[in-house]
Formats: sequence, structure tokens, C-alpha cells
Amino acid sequence: MALLTLENVSVAYENQNILDNFSLNIEKGQLISLLGPSGCGKTTTLRLIAGFLEAKAGRFLFDGKDYTRVPVNKRNFGFVFQSYALFPHLSVFDNVAFGLRLRKVNQAEIDQRVRHILDVVSLNGFEKRFPKELSGGQRQRVAIARALVIQPDLLLFDEPLSNLDANLRVNMRVEIRRIQQELGITTVYVSHDQEECFSISDQVAIMNKGIIEQLDDPATIFKYPRTEFVARFIGFNNFIDFGERTEQDGEIHLTAGSHTFRAAKNPGTANHSGKKGAIRPDDLVVSAEEPADSVRNVLKGKVKVSTFLGRSYQYVVETDLGDFTVNQEMDSPYKAGQPVYLMFPKEKLVLVD
Amino acid sequence: MKKLGLYLLLLPGLLFLTLFMVIPIAMTVLSTFFQEGSFTLEGYLHFLADPYFLKILWTTLQVSVVTTIACILLGFPAAYYISKLGPRKKGVLLALAIFPLLTSSVVRSFSWMIILGKKGLLNSSLLSLGLIEKPLEILYTPSAMMIGLIHLFLPLIIITLVGVMENIDPDLLKAAESLGASKFTAFRQVIVPLSVPGLIIGSILVFVGSLTAYTTPALLGGKQRVISTFLYQNAITLNDWHMASVIATIMIAITFIVIGLMNKLATKLNPKG
Repeated sequence: MALLTLENVSVAYENQNILDNFSLNIEKGQLISLLGPSGCGKTTTLRLIAGFLEAKAGRFLFDGKDYTRVPVNKRNFGFVFQSYALFPHLSVFDNVAFGLRLRKVNQAEIDQRVRHILDVVSLNGFEKRFPKELSGGQRQRVAIARALVIQPDLLLFDEPLSNLDANLRVNMRVEIRRIQQELGITTVYVSHDQEECFSISDQVAIMNKGIIEQLDDPATIFKYPRTEFVARFIGFNNFIDFGERTEQDGEIHLTAGSHTFRAAKNPGTANHSGKKGAIRPDDLVVSAEEPADSVRNVLKGKVKVSTFLGRSYQYVVETDLGDFTVNQEMDSPYKAGQPVYLMFPKEKLVLVD
Repeated sequence: MKKLGLYLLLLPGLLFLTLFMVIPIAMTVLSTFFQEGSFTLEGYLHFLADPYFLKILWTTLQVSVVTTIACILLGFPAAYYISKLGPRKKGVLLALAIFPLLTSSVVRSFSWMIILGKKGLLNSSLLSLGLIEKPLEILYTPSAMMIGLIHLFLPLIIITLVGVMENIDPDLLKAAESLGASKFTAFRQVIVPLSVPGLIIGSILVFVGSLTAYTTPALLGGKQRVISTFLYQNAITLNDWHMASVIATIMIAITFIVIGLMNKLATKLNPKG
């Protein structure tokens, strides 16, 4: 049974539905990311779980109990804010001890628990500092310690790394994952940075316009996006609209215009009614020489634009099925206007809705 | 050379303040220690030995302290409410809040006389409702002065508090709540301490304003003297400029003491503010 269940919830903001009939299940001990462009409803979902927002319809179940009307301060969830929201008038120690004092924990235990959690986030010796005397990364750690020290039943992160510089972001996300796994605490993580979400999550929910487009483990999403939105979001730039679909010899045959393409049966294509194909720019091969007849999945075209990406070249190739984007490493690039052939292995074509 | 140019910008203001404020105040203060060419503390001793003077000083301090506390209690919730509003509503309410400051203190005081007088609006309403049997004595008492001063100075504390409160990150309240604080506890442990800087500045403005206000206590206080009306009486009616200077120096001293104490309080309440 899921630890957390959002059941057909609707949330409106200024008479506009942000979430409509939205459902989500989260298993105990998992780190699940809500990922999507701004305005997709990920932060709303997080704030709803935290209790900062109220659903106008639906239920929120936590650990088998109805939490829909439980106020924020009775939920025992730790929340880490994008702005960290450290109390500027309190020292690091007092910031972390804030939740314990409210729980009337005795002083000796407060001392011991605050010290322990500062150990966990590697901030020993900073007890007497004030937030404005800390760097961004240190503030972030205090915010995490403050949320963890109350031994929350659920940990919530709202874009916690977006105010840090790139290097620190990578370090901190590893740190967050380490702490989360060490304590085995169920975590909901909101971000618009895919790499961040994919690198630390057990499950990723890709959200768009208030609905979850796909909820899967990161590797599955990365390899087999189920919808066009997800495919585009994770970098499948090339799409083909297919007409007829048949299965022959364990392969899927798809027609588009005068072409017939073959796709392998895999989780991305089998049991899938989608008639739109998606291919990553990296999975296309471009060549000036005409391939042998035995090679399948070939498209003839003409280089429209050629740009240098550092390690590889990127081409936009014009074909009778539209423009395709290709990334390829090569020594001497093709020039614009040059006729070329595009090829892709049958395993690399994914069908999406 | 560039720096010198910048200093020149300071010069006109500095010159004006020195000529028309620093020097006159210094002369006033100095003059209290000299009588007929020789050093003396007689003015101060005279003041401190006279129970009538001390009573006036005491009344003044009482009125100022009560006014300040009342302004804080009335202004704090109002300021918090205003600070939470959108820009348009905030503008309207702030304009309304500072309205008392824009009206003439004479007009303002006269309207309070109409309200608070023996046969005034307040008493006649209460009498006709049967809530009291004889008119309350409010006008020409310290209470009337306080009412007038609270009306006058409430805007100051609201403005300074709104300025501080609107810069408090709203996520701080959410953070406190997520850690287990009720809305009230979150307010008390987060908003209140973070408002201390505004509270201190506002309180100093109100306290010093009440201490030195003249028109309001003169009109609403009747025979009841406060230190500023007493100073006026000494200077203009009794033509005792030496005593008037002594009183002025005492007022300046009280002002500095209060500012010093308030700053100490501020560091204690909000060490990193």
C-alpha cells in the first residue's frame, strides 16, 4: 500500500484550476521527483502535500489516515524551501532547534539531536553562526538539518538547489540523496532541472499542465518516453507521423509517406497504440554516401543548417518527412546544401502518444 | 580630488544644520551652566528640588510612555495586515493611515475637544444610552492628551512597521508552521522579533514626539502641564529664559537617554537585526 495518496484532488488559484482530478501514489522510503516546466503544477502539488494549500475537492491520504484537513503544523512533514527560509534572527543552533522546542523536547535531548543532525549535514562547529554569516551551500544544509531534526514522516523539497552555483548543485544533490537513503525517509522533490531529478530519484513524475504525463523510474523515462511531451522534454527532437502499423517477424512495420520503417519491439513500442515516432538527435546517423540496400530505415535529405557544438556537429536535415536534427562527431563537417542520407537503428525508434 | 568633490555636496546641508541647529542648541545647553558669568548648576538643582516641576516631568513621561505603548499595540496588528496586502490596497490604506499627520494639529485637537468635552459627543452618547450616570471627566486630563497624541502618532509606527514587515519573507511563516508552530506561535516567534527594528524606530519617533508635542497637550490638557507647555510658560509668560533653557536641556537629555536605551533593547531582542 502506498504511504501517500492524492486522490482526485483539485486545486484552483484565482479561479483557475492548477490541478484537476489529480492522483498520485508514493511508496514508503522512495525519493520521487516532480519534474516539469514552470506552471505545470509541480509546486502546487508539493504545497498541497505540505498543507500550505487546500484542495477544493479530493482527498489526501497519508499512512492510511485522511490528512486532507490536517493543518500544516500537525502534519510532521519537513519542508525545505527554495529560499531556505532560515530564521535570520536565530543562530544555526536555534534554527535547527526550533521544531524541537515547539515539541517541548527537553534541553539535553535538543542538544544531542541538534548536534547529531549537524553532523549528518557536515556543519559541526557552525552552531553559533547566524544565517547571514553562511554561504549558500551552508544555508542549504541548515535548512535540511532543520527539516530533518524533527524526524519528519515525509520530507519535501521545493527547488532546493536553484539558488546555488553549478558545482555546488552537483555536490548538494549527491548529499541530499545520501542523507535520504541513510535515513530511509520518503521524499518528494520538486525541480525543473532534469539532470538533477534523474540523478537522485527512484521515481520521476513528468508533469505538464496539471497532469502527470509519465511516472516511472528515471532510466525507463529516459529510454522510453510515453508521450510526445515527455519525449520532447528529455531531448527527443525528431518526430515522424506514421500511417499504417503492422507486425511482421517480431518487428513493427510503420509507413510514413512512401517510406516504410521498422521498429524493434520493446517497452517503448510494444503494447503501445502510438502512431508517432520519436528519435534522439544522437541516435540518427548522417552520411553522404548512399547506404547498401540491406540497410533499413533510411531517409534521403539535404543539409539545411550546420552548427558546431564542440564535440560534435549538429545538422538540420531537410527531408520529405520534414526537418530532422542530428548530432554527429566528425572531423570535416558537411556543408549546407549537401545531399545526405539519414539512418537509425530499429531499436532507437520510440512510439509515443 | 574626486572625493573632495563629493564632500562638497555635503557642505550646504551641513552648513545649514551647524548654523541653525548645532550652534543654537550648544549655546542653549551651555547657557544653562552659567549665570552672570560664573559656572552654576543652580537651574538644575532648582528644578530637581521643586515637587511641582518633578510632577510635570513625571506626567510627561507617563503620557509619553502610555502613548508609545498604545501606539505599538494598536499599530502592530494594523501594520501586519497592511503589509500583507497587494500594492494597490496597501497604498490606499497607508494613505488613510497617515491622514492624521496631514491635518493641522489645532483642527485635530479641537475636534477631540468636541468629542471628549463634558457635553461632548462621547459623554452625551454614553448618557443617552444609560451606560453612565454623570459625564466622564476626560477633557483637560492626561487621558485626553494621550488620546490626542495616539491619534497623531499612530501613523508613524504603522509606517515604520509596514516598511519592516513587508520585507519579511513569507516563507518564514510557512517554515515555522511546517516545523510545528501554530499560526499564532509563528507570528510571535518570527514576525515579532523580525519587526523589532521597525518597532524601535517607531517607538523612538512616537516617544520623542509625545515628549516634545506642544499643541495637542496645550489644547487638550487644559491646566494640566507637560514639560513642553511648561517650557513655553517659562519662556513666554514668565520670561525666565534661563529656566526655559534648563528645561530644554533636560528634554534633550531624556531624548538621548531613551534612544540609547531603545538601541540597547534592540540589540538584546534581535542580536543580528
